[in-house]
Amino acid sequence: MDRRGFLRIVGATGAAALAGSCNRMNSAVGTLSSPTNLIRFPEKTEMILLTDRPPQLETPIHYFRQDLTPNEAFFVRWHLEGIPTSVDLRTFRLNVSGHVRQPLQLSVDELRSRFDPISIVAVNQCSGNSRSFFEPHVPGGQWKHGAVGNAKWTGVSIKSILDRAQVKAGAVDVSFNGLDVPPLPSIADFVKALSIDHARDGEVMVAYSMNDQPLPMVNGFPLRLVVPGWYGTYWVKALSDITVLPQAFSNFWTDKAYRIPAGPNGSESPKALAKDTIPINRFNVRSIFVRPEPEETVHPGIPNEIEGVAFDSGYGIRRVEVSTDGGTSWADARLDPEIGKYSFRRWRASWTPRNRGQYRLMARATNAVGDTQSKEQWNRSGFMWNVIQQVDVKVD
Amino acid sequence: MTPKTKSAIVLSLGLTVLAAGCGHPQNISQEETGRGVTNIKMESMLVSNADIPVHTIVMPHDEPLFPPGRGREEFVTACVVCHSPRYITMQPRFSRATWLSEVKKMQDVYGAHISDDQAVQITDYLFSINGKASTGKGPKGTYGE
Repeated sequence: MDRRGFLRIVGATGAAALAGSCNRMNSAVGTLSSPTNLIRFPEKTEMILLTDRPPQLETPIHYFRQDLTPNEAFFVRWHLEGIPTSVDLRTFRLNVSGHVRQPLQLSVDELRSRFDPISIVAVNQCSGNSRSFFEPHVPGGQWKHGAVGNAKWTGVSIKSILDRAQVKAGAVDVSFNGLDVPPLPSIADFVKALSIDHARDGEVMVAYSMNDQPLPMVNGFPLRLVVPGWYGTYWVKALSDITVLPQAFSNFWTDKAYRIPAGPNGSESPKALAKDTIPINRFNVRSIFVRPEPEETVHPGIPNEIEGVAFDSGYGIRRVEVSTDGGTSWADARLDPEIGKYSFRRWRASWTPRNRGQYRLMARATNAVGDTQSKEQWNRSGFMWNVIQQVDVKVD
Repeated sequence: MTPKTKSAIVLSLGLTVLAAGCGHPQNISQEETGRGVTNIKMESMLVSNADIPVHTIVMPHDEPLFPPGRGREEFVTACVVCHSPRYITMQPRFSRATWLSEVKKMQDVYGAHISDDQAVQITDYLFSINGKASTGKGPKGTYGE
């Protein structure tokens, strides 16, 4: 499509919005100070609207009362305006090429029928989840804690696909591209890469199924790369091209974007930005309150069940401590059985507040190698938030 | 756009009306192999490939409207080609320096078709609708957020 045609269509859709095709009444600039905007996208339930084009949709926290986040409520984040809205499975192929002896063009049916399927329950989390809590504020998607979800992914390991393609000696990286396209030729196509060893670890996979259903289009139908324990930027949606490279991969989305300070926990000071940066990679440890939710009122003299989810990059959550007095005293929460090392680990505690008043609840997760959460944290991109969460509740 | 995507994508922008459902896999039996990995045997994975091979959605449009002001036309012309104006309204109020760095990022990094003069006008407009008085040097935008 040429630029002029594009502008014409944008104008037409703008007019359609004016004519009342909006899902909500509250569409004017008054939304600057409004609270939560909800929107319903195709195949999705009502979600928190960050942006509509390209879509960025956040999961309301109450969905994390379920161990597996429903597909219809799973968060959505695209980078480029040209996202796929129609896929013809008769012509769609996953292309495997580059530094291989046997290039492959695989239909979704062939992936299902010609390879052994595997399933992994794994958390996917946006690099910028919770960005809105950084002080000073940083530009970017102003997520609260819902740019994360836990799903059972079923598909084929990259290892078995690359074995079929017969990787040549000397492979270094594997790049992954999806069907999304940039709106201008000057914008880099969204392509990400993993090292050949990481890609072949037997767990990195192409998922054709999410919680035993096909993926919603906006979550990457028909195929999505799953990189357990790593941030969502690597989980390429609508995956269409796997390319094995005999040299290190290089592009804008790796060299300039999605980089973190090289120091501990990707942290730096606003007054002295880190000089050395590295590509974002594994999740740090964190916990998210599921209930009570912020500003919720609970009652005195009776047990209140409080709960949350914790996760890390795959070492496994070993301990979650909860404080109901703003961090003065801590007690161990009960951990639900482990679903999988990359999964949400649910924790629960019972709390009987004696008196009415304001209380500050906190939860702190620790993993199997002793990593725990931050007391304070900042970086210029608003990535990897894992500050110990505080939830202020009123007892009345 | 490459040939591989051409056949597979329709950039509908709300113009496509075909809407099709998608089948659901069924009858999955599992066996644990440890390490969080499960082997799955599919006795019959019913997929609608044969019946409804084209899966299509229609994207909703819910873009905020913007008040008149100096630089509004430049903003509407140059910015909403690539993204919804909601990319502005979802941000907290930023200093003029932070907004300028965002506009320069669009110009220099993503190749937005705007002149330096237009960049200043767009910055003025963004600052007028979602700015705050500067308290020293605000954080500059980075990439990929």
